[in-house]
Amino acid sequence: MTRAILSCTGLDKSLGSLAREVAIRSAEVLGCELVCPVLLHSAPARYEIILANGDLIVIDGCPTRCATKLANQVGAKIDRKVLVTDAVKASGLALEPSLSLGPQGMQLAQRLVDALVRDITAGIGTPEDLASLKAPDDYLIVMQDKYQFRIPAREYAFTENDTWVRIVGERAFVGVSDYIQQKMTDITYVAPPASDDAVEQFGELGTIESAKAVLEIIAPVSGTVVEVNTTLIDHPELLNDDPYGAGWIAVLALTDYTADRELLLDGAAYAAIVQRKAAAEAG
Amino acid sequence: MMETDKQTVLVIPCSGIGKVHGLISREATYLVTDELAPGQTQTQCLALLVKGDADAVTAVQSHPCITIDGCPKACAQKNVEIAGGTLVKSVRVVDAFKTHRGAEPGSASGLTNDGWTIAREIAEAVTAEVISRIADREVAP
Repeated sequence: MTRAILSCTGLDKSLGSLAREVAIRSAEVLGCELVCPVLLHSAPARYEIILANGDLIVIDGCPTRCATKLANQVGAKIDRKVLVTDAVKASGLALEPSLSLGPQGMQLAQRLVDALVRDITAGIGTPEDLASLKAPDDYLIVMQDKYQFRIPAREYAFTENDTWVRIVGERAFVGVSDYIQQKMTDITYVAPPASDDAVEQFGELGTIESAKAVLEIIAPVSGTVVEVNTTLIDHPELLNDDPYGAGWIAVLALTDYTADRELLLDGAAYAAIVQRKAAAEAG
Repeated sequence: MMETDKQTVLVIPCSGIGKVHGLISREATYLVTDELAPGQTQTQCLALLVKGDADAVTAVQSHPCITIDGCPKACAQKNVEIAGGTLVKSVRVVDAFKTHRGAEPGSASGLTNDGWTIAREIAEAVTAEVISRIADREVAP
């Protein structure tokens, strides 16, 4: 199920600025699409598929509820609503009057994001739910000579060390990229991390081995290992066949994703790195 | 309804959610309204306008408007025109990038130095337009 967030634009009131900040941060954490309310009004076809298939979270800044009204105008089904005015009152924090959020506003924004993410992920993210990962449909393609390297266009983040992370609630699937599995050729052995291992971002998260190399898996995020893909021990070829789906290596309970994500790359940025690496190897 | 001189210029950015271009349009607007021309300009929430809020519609109809759009969809410009607003200038952030090839402006949640440079250039161009209008008004008979 695709989830999307439609937020107040937050232009001329501090409550709106807060709503917008909460929307952007929540979308990053939850891997949601952000829906621009004005574009939704002006070009609703742009969001037709997302709104038809997904759960819509609406975040309004003030009781005028522009975002909710715009969603209703296009007949979007709203799954969840947040009114920032109420949340501010409940928090007991005073919001600075300026349009740019100060430290108090940022603190409040993070608190609201945490609450929303907890609410959204309640009941999901159990190991049973996480035992499988469907590969994405939408890829960026990097070409180099006869080789093609696929990089998920959305929902995955990457490190320069060719590992990826996909966030599901407060947990994260991690794995290695299509580029590195092709570079290693047939992967013959996987030494996954142990359950309950605590790992820091860019720390080691097991190894994979092929006839060409042994690769240390670099953790894209900090966390505790809560699930290991033990299927890979008997079927390491899954890493070659389906690196972004069945070839996931471990699931981590996140410990500091807000900080970790600052050092992660989106698909486009990682694609540029793959292009450089592949060209250097070819050349 | 805002209590303003009818000559106060409304600077209206696109919503700017989800893309860095939109954030540049928003920050450029704040630079104009808060720092470069605070007495002569104000902003107006675009979502409120497209929702058909009567005060917002009256505001764009009774004040000169300058729109700053992030992308070529030009939501701000189009919606001010649809509302019957008095559009005196429209600016597109994407056009500013033509003179900043290779710039890395940041993301939807924060601008880099490159992003702030572009935002300030746009803000200065908009402010120049505002000052020019004021000068024309002062010399008019």
